[in-house]
Amino acid sequence: MRQKFHIDFIKNSKIYFCISILLMLAALIVNIFVIPTRVDIQFTGGTIIKYSYSGKLTEKQISDVAQKATKDTITFTYAENLASSDSNSHLVSLQFMGNKAITVDEQDEVTKALTDAFPKNTFKVEQSTVVDASKGANFFFKCLAAVILAAVLIIAYIGIRFKKIGGVSAGVMAIVALVHDLIIVYFTFAVFNMSLNDNFIAVVLMVLGYSVNDTIVIYDRIRENRRKMGPKATTAEVTNASINQCFPRTIATSITTLAAIGSVLVVSLIYNIDSIISFALPMMIGLVSGCYSSICIAAPLWVMWKNHSDKKKAEKNKKEKEAKSEKKAKKKSAKKPAENAVTKKETKSSKKKPEPEVQEEEEEEEEEEETEETEETEETETAEEEKNSEETAAETED
Amino acid sequence: MKRVGKPVFFIVFVVILFLTYTSVFGIYSENGDLTVTHIKGINDIRWGIDIKGGVEAVFAPDKGIDATEEQMQSVKSIIDLRLVNQNVTDYEIYPDYTNDRITVRFPWKSDEENYDPGEAIKELASTAQLVFREGTSQDGTELLTGKEVKSASARFTQANANSPSQYVISLEFTDEGKKKFADATTNNVGKQISIWMDDTMISAPKVNEPITDGNAIISSDANPFTAESATDLANKINAGALPFSLTIESYGTISPSLGTYALEAMGYAAIAALCFIFLFMCIMYRLPGFVAFIALMGQLSLSLMAVSGYFTVFPSFTMTIPGIAGMILSIGMGVDANIITAERIKDELWTGKTLDGCINNGTKSSLSAIIDGNITIIIVAVILILVFGPANIFSALFGVSTTGLIYAFGYTLLVGVISNFIMGVWASRTMLRSISGLKFLRNKRLYGGKKKS
Repeated sequence: MRQKFHIDFIKNSKIYFCISILLMLAALIVNIFVIPTRVDIQFTGGTIIKYSYSGKLTEKQISDVAQKATKDTITFTYAENLASSDSNSHLVSLQFMGNKAITVDEQDEVTKALTDAFPKNTFKVEQSTVVDASKGANFFFKCLAAVILAAVLIIAYIGIRFKKIGGVSAGVMAIVALVHDLIIVYFTFAVFNMSLNDNFIAVVLMVLGYSVNDTIVIYDRIRENRRKMGPKATTAEVTNASINQCFPRTIATSITTLAAIGSVLVVSLIYNIDSIISFALPMMIGLVSGCYSSICIAAPLWVMWKNHSDKKKAEKNKKEKEAKSEKKAKKKSAKKPAENAVTKKETKSSKKKPEPEVQEEEEEEEEEEETEETEETEETETAEEEKNSEETAAETED
Repeated sequence: MKRVGKPVFFIVFVVILFLTYTSVFGIYSENGDLTVTHIKGINDIRWGIDIKGGVEAVFAPDKGIDATEEQMQSVKSIIDLRLVNQNVTDYEIYPDYTNDRITVRFPWKSDEENYDPGEAIKELASTAQLVFREGTSQDGTELLTGKEVKSASARFTQANANSPSQYVISLEFTDEGKKKFADATTNNVGKQISIWMDDTMISAPKVNEPITDGNAIISSDANPFTAESATDLANKINAGALPFSLTIESYGTISPSLGTYALEAMGYAAIAALCFIFLFMCIMYRLPGFVAFIALMGQLSLSLMAVSGYFTVFPSFTMTIPGIAGMILSIGMGVDANIITAERIKDELWTGKTLDGCINNGTKSSLSAIIDGNITIIIVAVILILVFGPANIFSALFGVSTTGLIYAFGYTLLVGVISNFIMGVWASRTMLRSISGLKFLRNKRLYGGKKKS
């Protein structure tokens, strides 16, 4: 087997968890104390008017005139107007406080005040957005419904898909990874002081879709390798091997996707197109996070979970065995299905390993219990797969 | 393995080249002074108002008024009429009957430097002035106004006892209107009276006989009404009798200079992304990488076709900046299918099998992963289309969306995934199988195998 990477993702898992948690904590602190979350007027309702003007004017000159023309308090944002061929062109954005949707007449008054005060500076409305508060709330709930619907559908998909590949535990981990990514996307918006708007919804949905499939690809490999590597390999070993095999693909796909969205980001940074920056930047970070979380969060967490439940199983198993042997002494009948599974497994492992060592027996039994658990859910399925695995094994040997 | 003939590669390649060229540049011919468009290229794409500049406005009845569906239809028909009068033909209008909202989106008029969008929006929302006049000129004596019309409706009936059934507009007047209309018709038997909406004459029926009972019928024998035109005229007349005025609930304007600038930027982004992916794929995956890039061009051209209206059966689509971003994103994700396959082929080659066997196994084993990768994206794209699209299942609950810009993102994403299956999966596999039949291209190193096979 060609294998380019040998990174022990499971051993380093604590470091990854720490990185994620620290990053989120840092973002949370910044979010609470430095940069509060902004919600776009698309959701809250409100008014933003963007003017372009030429020539030199101080910020105070403009804000004084504009403020006088209306009763509402205005916040001003200034920028260079890169879109204009005139190098001396500037932009000013006026946001009206109080989430009020101003009327066309009110807007005209402000525009008139500005053009009257600075006739030489050619004030022109470049963009205006006026959203009624009820309309905004309506739009917000619609977006919320969309995200919930997407989440439900994707969880349903995870449910269907993971029934085959890792059981409920793996599905839960995939969802943990998803939540991780969404938190990261949210903090990207918060920390970069971008207001939550329809772009946020688009990015959230996109990351929801993108993150899951990395995770699925890895668990698919885990299932495949579980068969190939035999019962002796620990969960950690199998998982590590699977991640490393998927690694070239994950990296290559991420690179091309990031290159595509990255070039959009770079260009919109150069050209200063706000609406696309607040789309491309969180998208990029979300995609990186999606890739990272499936490798460094979902998989190691799953291994921890598995080991934990295996230990419990083993303890329970021991007790049961003791109880069983006691029972056996009294009665000959024991639990039938469990016995069946064990005997089946035993014949199998004896096939693969003609001379089982006595020392390893204890350990091996633990291992068996674990595979047994997954088998119980869909016995026919695994039986088929085992056949397949033997076939493929035979093929590769040839 | 099913062998694919050697010429197949060149056939698919040429087809993709042709599609790419035509979807980008289109095909035109000169017919005298007229340029006839045979196939639509990038220049024929209908750009959204965030690129072309334009106006978006949401109108609603005055606060607290629950308008009926007919009333909203009247509002829509009057806005239609006014937009056409303003010479705006490329507009989108979305009535939302459950929430009593009408969303209008129209581009900046290209020939007007000092277009005042605020004025245009106000004009659209102004109360309809419906007037019946004597004669067919605007200076004709005012006979009665829209307020005196109780209702107008389209019907399919016999205008006279002898004539066949046809579509007519039936008018019902208020008590006051009944009197006025009786006088007007008595004085104008055999002459025309005209119905005016704002400054437009919408109908000029001839009075056949005095109508005194307050119920009139407008019919046309020479140029019979259709169901549609009758309803339209009835709606317009009703608009003059609306018991409420319109308010501008939300509006937005974008000047064309900002938009065209953004479009240029996105063009550069697309070219940069394509160049990078070409180099990356060729270096990392060699021959399969090169084939993947050809397929990617095909995918991109299919996406463009779905947007520009290349095939006349698919209507053209309003493209926005997020739409372009979606297209670029789907380029990046599109090669995923090829990467998965190429990685599998590499894996197979290292086990030392024959080239054909490796390609065969590699393509077979990678299909499920490719489908997996795309299903969740399809789910997301469909939801984006449903939520931000003009009319859909969500509008029943939440009303028609004002910000439809993201809609195009979902659309191009979905189109990207579908064309990815056609090009990135089917076409590229066919090409790879065909090209691997060429002798000088059978070196395993070209597919990422070991130095010495």
